[in-house]
Amino acid sequence: MFGTPWVCRPCLLRALRPLSRRYVQYQTTASAIPDSISPALLSRARAIAAEHDQLSKKLANGFDARAAKKLGEFSAVVNALKEWEKANESLKELNTLIRDPSIDSELRELASNDVIATTEQFAQASHALTTSLVPKDPFENLPCLLEIRPGAGGSEAAIFAGDLLRMYQAYCSREGYRTSMLKYEHAEGFQESLQEAVLEIEFEGAYGRFRCEAGVHRVQRVPATESKGRTHTSAASVLVLPSFPNNGGSVEVEDLDDPDSDYYIDPKDVRTELMRARGAGGQHVNTTDSAVRLTHIPTNIVVSMQDYRSQPKNREKAWQLLRSRLAQARREKREEDMVVMRRNVVGVAKMGRGDKVRTYNWGQQRVTDHRSGLTVHDLDDVMGGGHTLEKVMESVRNWLMERDVETLITIEGDETKNKGKR
Amino acid sequence: MPRLAPQLLRHARKIDPLLPLLLRPCRDLVSAQNELRWLREHAIKTANNSEKRSRIAGWRTVLRQLVEERTTGKPLQYILGTEYFGDLEIVCYPGVLIPRQETAASVTHLVDLLRQAEDLPSELRVLDLCTGTGCIPLLFQHEFNKARHDKGRLRLLGVDISPIAVRLARYNHMRLSNMRDLQRQERQMFKPGRDNDKKKNIAKPRYSTLDGTEDIGAGDTTEFMSADVLMDPLSDRYEMDAPPFVAEMNFENQPPFWDILISNPPYISPSAFNRTTTHSVRVFEPKLALVPPPSPGKSDEEQGDSFYPRLLTIANQVEAKLVLFEVADLEQAIRVARMARDSDKWDGVEIWRDQPELESDSEDEELQEEFEVVGQGNGRSVLCWRGPATQWLGKPASTIFTRRTPKKVWLLGQELEES
Repeated sequence: MFGTPWVCRPCLLRALRPLSRRYVQYQTTASAIPDSISPALLSRARAIAAEHDQLSKKLANGFDARAAKKLGEFSAVVNALKEWEKANESLKELNTLIRDPSIDSELRELASNDVIATTEQFAQASHALTTSLVPKDPFENLPCLLEIRPGAGGSEAAIFAGDLLRMYQAYCSREGYRTSMLKYEHAEGFQESLQEAVLEIEFEGAYGRFRCEAGVHRVQRVPATESKGRTHTSAASVLVLPSFPNNGGSVEVEDLDDPDSDYYIDPKDVRTELMRARGAGGQHVNTTDSAVRLTHIPTNIVVSMQDYRSQPKNREKAWQLLRSRLAQARREKREEDMVVMRRNVVGVAKMGRGDKVRTYNWGQQRVTDHRSGLTVHDLDDVMGGGHTLEKVMESVRNWLMERDVETLITIEGDETKNKGKR
Repeated sequence: MPRLAPQLLRHARKIDPLLPLLLRPCRDLVSAQNELRWLREHAIKTANNSEKRSRIAGWRTVLRQLVEERTTGKPLQYILGTEYFGDLEIVCYPGVLIPRQETAASVTHLVDLLRQAEDLPSELRVLDLCTGTGCIPLLFQHEFNKARHDKGRLRLLGVDISPIAVRLARYNHMRLSNMRDLQRQERQMFKPGRDNDKKKNIAKPRYSTLDGTEDIGAGDTTEFMSADVLMDPLSDRYEMDAPPFVAEMNFENQPPFWDILISNPPYISPSAFNRTTTHSVRVFEPKLALVPPPSPGKSDEEQGDSFYPRLLTIANQVEAKLVLFEVADLEQAIRVARMARDSDKWDGVEIWRDQPELESDSEDEELQEEFEVVGQGNGRSVLCWRGPATQWLGKPASTIFTRRTPKKVWLLGQELEES
């Protein structure tokens, strides 16, 4: 009767079982943004479109660099709005067609088929419009400085900091980004342990890519320094600063000489000290001391640089570092003010340095990002800067974007409410 | 020299076993750590590039050898083979003086002043006597081209008595221009068609342009020749191999007139050589480049100064409008400045300190009565100008000597000599 006289029971059972549950996706990473767009956001988008029209009229008369720049920023919103309005229009039309009793059934069927596709289009357009309204980070298109320091955990933390540095270096070389080590200090003891490192990623847009990496990275493993095989938990902190491109790179940044810019430093406020040996100098000594120390007097930020043998280069890099640190401090302060202002409006979980952002667990070969909630198990690939790391980083970027959208919706809704009250 | 504290040595050994060895020449931990890092980088680089033997031995062995070499006091610059002079990496080896940071500061400041100059000649001629590695003309060219994109060619000539130095200077020139070509090619490959950014760069402050070397300086001429600056052209004694300066200038068909004369001559007196120079300078650097040759009937101080009268004479012969001499300290600077003033050939004389670009802290006012002293640090160089150079530097036309009464200067001079 049957071709095969005997089939093993587990195989038979497996054939009877429905499709494996493993392949069924229960959770979705698609954004949780509602399909329709909130009226507050819509009104804002319309306001921007109106301003866009005005600006383009103004530009038709004469060129103005600032207006042109603004126009470029707005055009994304305007395009998204146009798309959205088109989708909205066609959806409405289809709906009236379906509801109209005078129309024959054949056409109605066609229309109802179309509705599905158009609804999808409409949802996409809404999403695009919302994301286009989210204010872009002003430094997104800049190269960045990655600063890595060991946190709690002694020499193990220092070793892990070294691991992190190598991970990012490997990631950059895989992605083809040029990097240069601005500062590298060994910790005492192990060769690979790290006291402090500053890595410059010279890729325009690196800040947008790496800014989610900032925070405390936690490691759980049996350290090399451990003799009894116990698992330790240590941490290393990663700081990401936008880096000002020297030599006027192609990225448009605020002018250095513009006093309103975060990067502006009055040269009079900076005390330069060349740590040169006192004494006769000149032909009498042949010192190799090329250290430069800059002190920004109003904020008391001190930057010293002695890694290069060339003094002008040390000075150059010290200025770059000082500028970045100062800009970061100014921006943090401004953001802090904003947070205080909006705290009662939005429940923002402030992402400071205190909270850990990611855990690397060697025992379970797992990496978990605590913000996006993503867990991956290919630890070796992550530490090797491979594709899995990119996956984790992307999940955090998406998470940040969603959070921004939520914040935006809440703020806009609140503002319109307040207006209504008045 | 104070003994190194055992505690410091222990601490150094904990960081790296080679570090205590480097503490001997460096004397402090931070610079020893820096030198160890540079030596390690150098060792890794040479171990990878060199022939099989050291590659098998590995860079650690190479590093150990380098550190031991450094422990004898041999300057790091000779071991690594290069020294940074301003933005430039200059090759140096034993037998030629290592370029000094202070010289770079003076040259850079001079070019910074010239950058604002309106009516420079279409070919600016710069003569550098006692050039050594050739660092001064090369840096002058680099800084000058960084600052000005519009006009003017440069003609640079470096003169040194030592044929080794002249060979090295020529090599440095060739190496830097090759590197510049490479950089230019690289820039053109990576960033096509971004010429309109150049104009922006000029307006920015100096610290934001790391390597402003654009595709300029093509019309410049840089040459080096061997000649004896100090020898009297009229005497026919040929003690050294090098011919006298003026004869050689004629022989090489060099133009007779030069706009700027720069010199970092030997200026250490024999007694100061024994007292103030550091061990590694005394033992490893050429005495020829540090101490002027002895001549009968001259005191210790006069021997230290013996280059300057000759340099001033040459400045008059080539009709230099601007002169910059490096000196040992403020006392020598004043002596040289007086020589220039008493010759009555110059419109103005100024003394520069180690960092002439900084605001001067006016603590010693009596010195400023006699000569303008600019900057911070030790007295480092003397600047004299006349004729059109007054406008290049942006100085008021009638200067110093009319303002300062000669009687007071004389009195002050006596006081200084007595004290």
